[in-house]
Amino acid sequence: MTQRQTLLHLLRLAMLASGLGALLAQAHEAHGAPPQAAASVPAKPARKPRAQLGIGAAFAPDRSLWVVALDADNRLFVQSSPSTRPLRWSAPRVLDTLGDAISADGENHPKLAFGPKGYAVISYTQPGAKPYTGMIRMLRSTDGGQTFSQPFTVHTDRQEITHRFESIAFDAQGVLHTLWLDKRDLETAPKVGNKSSYRGAAVYRNTSSDGGASFGPDTKLADHSCECCRIALATGPDGGLRALWRHVFEPNVRDHGFAALTTEPSAPVMRATFDDWHIDACPHHGPGLAAAPDGGYHAVWFGMRKQGAEDVAAVRYARLNADGSPVMDSVRALPDARAEHADVAAAGQRVAVVWRSVDGMTSTLKAWLSHDGGQTFGLQVLGRVSGDNDHPRLAQQGERLVVVWRNAKEVQVHDIKF
Amino acid sequence: MTSNFDTRRRTLLAAASLVFFSICVPNGATAPVDGAQTAINTVANFDAATWRKLLRAGPRPAAYVFTNSFCATCPEVFELLQQTTVAAGHTVELAAILMDVRGERALAHAHHYVGVTTIYAFDGFEPAIRQAVDPKWHNITPYVVLVGRNGKQQRVTGQPTAAQLKAWLG
Repeated sequence: MTQRQTLLHLLRLAMLASGLGALLAQAHEAHGAPPQAAASVPAKPARKPRAQLGIGAAFAPDRSLWVVALDADNRLFVQSSPSTRPLRWSAPRVLDTLGDAISADGENHPKLAFGPKGYAVISYTQPGAKPYTGMIRMLRSTDGGQTFSQPFTVHTDRQEITHRFESIAFDAQGVLHTLWLDKRDLETAPKVGNKSSYRGAAVYRNTSSDGGASFGPDTKLADHSCECCRIALATGPDGGLRALWRHVFEPNVRDHGFAALTTEPSAPVMRATFDDWHIDACPHHGPGLAAAPDGGYHAVWFGMRKQGAEDVAAVRYARLNADGSPVMDSVRALPDARAEHADVAAAGQRVAVVWRSVDGMTSTLKAWLSHDGGQTFGLQVLGRVSGDNDHPRLAQQGERLVVVWRNAKEVQVHDIKF
Repeated sequence: MTSNFDTRRRTLLAAASLVFFSICVPNGATAPVDGAQTAINTVANFDAATWRKLLRAGPRPAAYVFTNSFCATCPEVFELLQQTTVAAGHTVELAAILMDVRGERALAHAHHYVGVTTIYAFDGFEPAIRQAVDPKWHNITPYVVLVGRNGKQQRVTGQPTAAQLKAWLG
């Protein structure tokens, strides 16, 4: 081979390795065209999308445990396990979602909730083709989940904008509450340069008194929520719901807001955490909330706070008062620097905080358990897996607390033993 | 006087460097100094080995922005980095690394990452790859790694400061 031939051979190899040839051709063809057009033509065969392992779990009134998730073909399915034969699962039942794309990853996962009169609902976010856009979709059942409707959009607003990170729950009166993050106010806010003057997103909600057959108007719970974290819900002593979400306090402090879901058009937002974390970034890490028997709440959240000159990141636990304000001396970090996506549940004085702790390919499911209403905690390791897995999800039926944890091979259910 | 052997060796070394560069920058072109957006139509896989390779022998200077398909605060960082490189008259690698989506869903983000030259997508268990990049990084995005001409790294969560940008391209 001559020197020239060798060079040409290596050049071809270089262009092959990088796709540079294709890139140059595309760049030439796409000159002056909107970048979206070029972006819509993949040069390589499409890779199969990553498995979406996000799962939702809830107990039905008959004490059976239900889960909802996507299968390997991204189809929505439900499964249940009767209380008389725990962990003997029914066959997966695939539901008709009209071909919706469904978010089922991390903080944005399908959920289900059971209400009175045989009502059951499943919700998910349907991501739009445009980045950051989505719709909150729901399927409803009037026979306790034996059959489900086709999906429908929950909110009145149908703009192609952000409606994501929904949460659902029935209150003690059987009213279904749906909350989500919404950017309709950001869209209409004046711009400063090419940036919106609106801080973050907003929490919107609506209610349904007939198990999702009809909904009231979209109403705003709070301006200036964080854009990328889940919303936690808990039932208060009056049977009404309370919400806890990551909020963007002025100017860019990502702490947490708390509000009661009352019939008032705009409930006051109580600041529930004081990490004083100033950052223009997305933590992708929402809080957890559970009611305490004294009328207050248990909360867990991720945040960064100054300790001396150092910024210390941690998942923290605290007690909240009935109005959502923090009981200051109750704040403490979980005993695990790698803790992420913690959840909390409580039954009387028993409190369970669970989280995932990842070290390379190994993930450990840990629980921090209290017998005295959160005064003291003991650590337990509940499970360990290698490879891809979902965040742990707590489900509660009276005194029974379980952690549902999905990995690429199975769904684990761990009964919490205090 | 240059011998034939030296000429051949230099030619082969130059060609081999191009192969190596092409492997390290799988789908991209460096950002043009006039700030024009380059069309990108492929997504390269990213894992711990990719990161080691980029830090060891990737283009310099470079900026790696780790992001997420629903990170609303991330596009601003691309704008800032692109403005900085244009103002400095530098040609640099400005890579977006999508952590939660790949394929067409990752490409869908290319058009609003101003100045992006290469799109990567995590290929594997997200927390494991993230910890390989930085064991103390808690999945907050944007997470930006600025690699200077001399290989010096600056790691920033959120927007880099003016001083960090100056140190990067200074």
